[in-house]
Amino acid sequence: MSRALDRIGTWIGWAFFADLANGLALTFGYMFSKSVTMQYPDKEKWLPYSRYRGHHFLKRDEEGEIKCVACELCARICPCYCIEVIPYEDEKGNRRPAKFEIDMARCLFCGLCEDACPADAIALGQQYEFSSFSSHDLVIGRDDLLSKPGKAMTGGGVVAARLNTEQDVLVETSEPQGYNWWRNIRRT
Amino acid sequence: MELVVALGLIVFKVALLIAILLLLPLPLTWLERKIAGHIQQRMGPMRVGWHGLLQPVADGVKLLTKEDHIPAEADRFLFKLAPILALAPPFVVFVAVPFGESVSVLGTEITLYVSNMNVALLFVFAVIGIEVYGVIFGGWAANSKYAVLGSLRTCAQMISYEIPMGFAVIGVVMLAQSMSLLEIVRAQANVWNIVYQPVGFFVFFVAGLAQAQRIPFDLAEAEGDLGAGFHTEYSGIRFAFFMVSEYAIMLLTSVLAVILFFGGWNGVLVPLPPILWFLLKVAFFVYVFIWFRFTFPRYRYDQLMAIGWKVLLPLSMANIIITGVAFL
Ligand code: SF4
Ligand code: SF4
Repeated sequence: MSRALDRIGTWIGWAFFADLANGLALTFGYMFSKSVTMQYPDKEKWLPYSRYRGHHFLKRDEEGEIKCVACELCARICPCYCIEVIPYEDEKGNRRPAKFEIDMARCLFCGLCEDACPADAIALGQQYEFSSFSSHDLVIGRDDLLSKPGKAMTGGGVVAARLNTEQDVLVETSEPQGYNWWRNIRRT
Repeated sequence: MELVVALGLIVFKVALLIAILLLLPLPLTWLERKIAGHIQQRMGPMRVGWHGLLQPVADGVKLLTKEDHIPAEADRFLFKLAPILALAPPFVVFVAVPFGESVSVLGTEITLYVSNMNVALLFVFAVIGIEVYGVIFGGWAANSKYAVLGSLRTCAQMISYEIPMGFAVIGVVMLAQSMSLLEIVRAQANVWNIVYQPVGFFVFFVAGLAQAQRIPFDLAEAEGDLGAGFHTEYSGIRFAFFMVSEYAIMLLTSVLAVILFFGGWNGVLVPLPPILWFLLKVAFFVYVFIWFRFTFPRYRYDQLMAIGWKVLLPLSMANIIITGVAFL
């Protein structure tokens, strides 16, 4: 009995375009919901999670000494062969990299170098704005790597920012964590 | 002297009409992209001007400065003719479309229409039918398989929507006892036709969607499966012609829907100036067109033909018969 009623109901709905009306109502609702897009780079910018794998950086120990022992394990494990390490012996008799170059144009940001490093010397940090017009500029040397920003400390979020055509996108707020981008996502 | 004034007035009106129709796609594309964006929880254009308001201007400049490419194997004459053939009819049609009764400026009565033909409705349908040739020729002349497929679909589409559309408005003509659009609007001063002719409106609107080649019936373009359909090979200014034509037809369908079924410039309840009522109603229909576009998927063209012949045609016939019986 109820199945017959259901069928009749379906037919009546079909005759009056209930399905189409449903779709229209849904899109109409969406039209007045908040946009989820980030106004990057004009007004907003994404702060990555701490697990984010961005531009590499080399770490220093407490004495300010470079941690890398130039074992070349990262260069060996790298699937893209984009790390080149040349070791030398410094004044204290430690093995250190004389040359440490990463070709960012070839790197696929797998993070294997970070995992392989026995000295916890290399890691993938939070920087993600390093596009360039020339792939030569993307070969980053040791000293540049030492000055790159480290892992993000925040849990990801959107903060106010401003586009500076000379440098890059400047983060304008001092708050460490912006609003959570997921708050506007409708989950129905 | 009188003749000169009358002539000048007509020339002025035509020039104004052309200018408005040529410029209207600018705000309309902006609106369309904004509405599309917000329906998809995006913002749409934001960077050129305030909230992207100047984006259509930038796009227009871009289109005008693009290379005007003609494929080597194309039929050059037809290829050049097609955009004009697509663009001219929607403009010509507006000559017969009234936008209101007359207003008096500086003591002279100025009518808000270029001409009041007594067969305006027939004229509109006859002329707008020519536009399809632009689409068909364009696809044929380009000598590209996607374009030809688009044209073929247009042919199939045309024969399925033109007839129900023509039949759908007969009910309106019967009610108004006239084919003049002005008379039709006057006949709706008390009750809008939509009250008597809901079925007629439905058929007209669906066929109008097909005529304007908008989703769910944009088979000729079908960017998902045909590249860009009939205008795949067009670029630059010729492509712009097709775009303007598409928007003009969308506008025309909205205007016709308002005139034929929604009382033209007759208002209800709120006493607004008639022309404002008219514009509001047209704007509503334009919005509905855009809203539909970003809600519905595209029909297959055999489905469109099935809808046209098996649903719309019988419905419009029944509508005529019932209207006739009710008259008796
Ligand atoms: S992240 Fe992967 S690809 Fe990039 S340098 Fe490290 S190991 Fe090589
Ligand atoms: S970064 Fe780590 S793995 Fe790579 S050479 Fe230095 S110590 Fe070895």
